[in-house]
Amino acid sequence: MRAAPACLSSCHFGLLVEQRSLIQRFVAKPEFGPLVLLVAEIVVFWSINPDFLSALNISNTLSFTVELGLIALAMTLLMTAGEFDLSVGSVFGFAPVLMWTLFNSGITSLEVAFVIALVVAALIGLANGLFVTRIKISSFLVTLGMLLVVRGVALFISDGFPQRTWSAGQHWLAQALVGDFYVGPFRIYMSLFWFIGVALVLGYVLTQTKAGNWIQATGGNPGAARARGVNVNRTKVALFMLSATMASFAGVISSIRTSAANPNSGAGYELEVIAMVVIGGTALMGGRGTIIGTVLGVFILRVMRNGIVLIGVPGLAYNIFIGAIILGMMTLHSILERRHHAGT
Amino acid sequence: MTDLIRMERVSKAYGRIQALKDVDFTVQENEIVGLLGDNGAGKSTLIKVLSGAVPSTSGDIYVRGQKVSIRSTTDAIANGIETIYQDSALVTQLSIARNLFLGREPVKGPRFLNRLDHAAMDAVTRDLLKRVGISKNIPPSTPVGSLSGGERQAVAIARAMYFESDLIILDEPTNNLGVAETQGVLRFVRNARKSGHSCIFIAHNIHHVFQVVDRIVVMRGGRVVADDINPKQSSVEDVERIITGMSDEELERALGANEH
Repeated sequence: MRAAPACLSSCHFGLLVEQRSLIQRFVAKPEFGPLVLLVAEIVVFWSINPDFLSALNISNTLSFTVELGLIALAMTLLMTAGEFDLSVGSVFGFAPVLMWTLFNSGITSLEVAFVIALVVAALIGLANGLFVTRIKISSFLVTLGMLLVVRGVALFISDGFPQRTWSAGQHWLAQALVGDFYVGPFRIYMSLFWFIGVALVLGYVLTQTKAGNWIQATGGNPGAARARGVNVNRTKVALFMLSATMASFAGVISSIRTSAANPNSGAGYELEVIAMVVIGGTALMGGRGTIIGTVLGVFILRVMRNGIVLIGVPGLAYNIFIGAIILGMMTLHSILERRHHAGT
Repeated sequence: MTDLIRMERVSKAYGRIQALKDVDFTVQENEIVGLLGDNGAGKSTLIKVLSGAVPSTSGDIYVRGQKVSIRSTTDAIANGIETIYQDSALVTQLSIARNLFLGREPVKGPRFLNRLDHAAMDAVTRDLLKRVGISKNIPPSTPVGSLSGGERQAVAIARAMYFESDLIILDEPTNNLGVAETQGVLRFVRNARKSGHSCIFIAHNIHHVFQVVDRIVVMRGGRVVADDINPKQSSVEDVERIITGMSDEELERALGANEH
C-alpha cells in the first residue's frame, strides 16, 4: 500500500518527461514556425476586424488560395529535389488559352482540349527537365527562358485578348473542377477537394514512398544518390513535368472560375509560389521538403493578402509584409537548422 | 586459393602523366590490406579505378577469378566493391535508415503504392549499428547530419556490410577524427572483417594502419614497391623508409632536419 504513492509520483514524472520530449520534438519540426505564424495572423486580423472570419470571406479566400496552392504542392517536390521552376506562372496563363482556343474554334471537344492542355504542359516540363539534366544549365536560367517563350506563345495565339470561357457553363468538366455548393453559409468550390487530394497524395509520396526517398536524396546529395543507383536525372525530369502539369491544371481551374482565359494571367505567380514553399520550411537548395509546411505557407501568404485589405492597410503595401515574412521565416528556419545540427 | 580481387598490369594515364604503371594488386578473402604511399604515389588513382570512378587505360581486374569490367561506381557495387570516401557518400538530410537503404528500399503492400517498409528498415538498421559496434542507442530515424564523423563512417560501413559487399574500400576514414572516434572506426573495420568482409584501408597516419591491417602494400611513383609487409614483423620506420624511398641515413637526416 505504501509503494503506491511512490509509483504514482515516478509514473507521473515519467509521463511529464515524455510529454516534454513530445513538445520539444513538435517545436523542432520545420512546420512549427509557420503554424504559429498562421495562427497569429488569423488572431490579429480577426481581433481587428471580426468580418475576417465571416463565411463569405473564408469562402472567397479559399477559392483562390487553392489554385496557387496546387502549383506550390508540386513545386515543393521539385525544390526538395534541388531545382525550381520559374515558368509555372506562364504555363498557368498559357494552358487555359490553349484549351479554350481549341474548344472555341470548334477543333475539339472540351474534354480533349483539357487533356491536350495538360499534355502540352507536361511537354514543357519535359523540355525544362532535359535542358537542366542533359545540357546542365541551371534551372534558374532554363525556366526563365521558358517563362518568356511560353508567355510569348500565349500572347501570340490569342492576339493578346482573353478567350471567352462562359460557354463552359454546366459542362460536367467545369462542374468537376470548380463546381460549387453550400455547406451552411460556406460556399465550397470543388477545387478545394482537388487541393486536399493532391496535398494528401504528394505528402504520401514524399514521406512514405521509395520515390520520396529518391527525391530527397536527389536534392540532398546527388552524387551519393547516383552512386547508390538512384536515377537522379529521371527523378528531376519527372518533377519538372509534374510542376508544369499542375500549373496547367490550376490555370484551367482559374479560367473557369473567373470565366476568362487571359494570356497575361499568372504573371509573378512563380515567385509567390516559391515564397509559399520556402516559408513552409522546404529548403531552397533541396534535400528537405514538407507538404504540410507548404500548405501552411500557402495560407500564410493568402491570409496576409486578404487580411491586410480587410483591416484597412492599403493593398499596395502587401509586398512589404510578404518580404518581411520571408526574411523572418528564413531566419527562424536557419536558427532551427543550426540547433538541430548542434544536437540541442 | 583464389584471390578475392586481382588487378593485373593496370595502368592509368592522365594525358602525359602516368599515374599508374603496370600495377599488380591483390586482396584475399577476409583480409584487411593497408595501402600506403606519399602524395602522388598513385594509391588514390588505384582506388578510383577499382571503385569505377575512373576507367583504367589498360590492364585487367578479376573478382574471384572472373574477369570483370568496372566502368562506373554502379558496376563496382554490382561486383561487391563498395568505396567509403571521407564524406561517406551519405545524404545528411536523410535518416540513418533511409541512407542505409537508399536505392534498394524495401517496400510493402500493393506495388503501385510504392510504400516504404519503415518497420523492416528500422529493425535492420538497429541490428546493423549494433553489429558494426556503435554502443550508443541511436534511433534509426536520426538524420545523418546530426551524427559525428566517426558515426557517419560507421553508417557507411554498416551499409556496405548489409548489402554483402565483399570488399570495402576505406579512403582516409580517420582523417579529421578525434582519438576516441578513430578507435571507434578501427573497431568498425575489425568488426567488418569478423563478419567475413575484406577491406582496403588507406590512411596517412601509419600508426592507424598498423593497428588494424593484416598486410601492407606500399606505392611510389605509380608503382607497387612492396606488397607483402607484415605489420607484426615490421616497424613504422621501416615502412616510412619504403614510402619515401630513402636510405636509412637519408631518412635520419630528413627527420633530423625536421626536428631542428
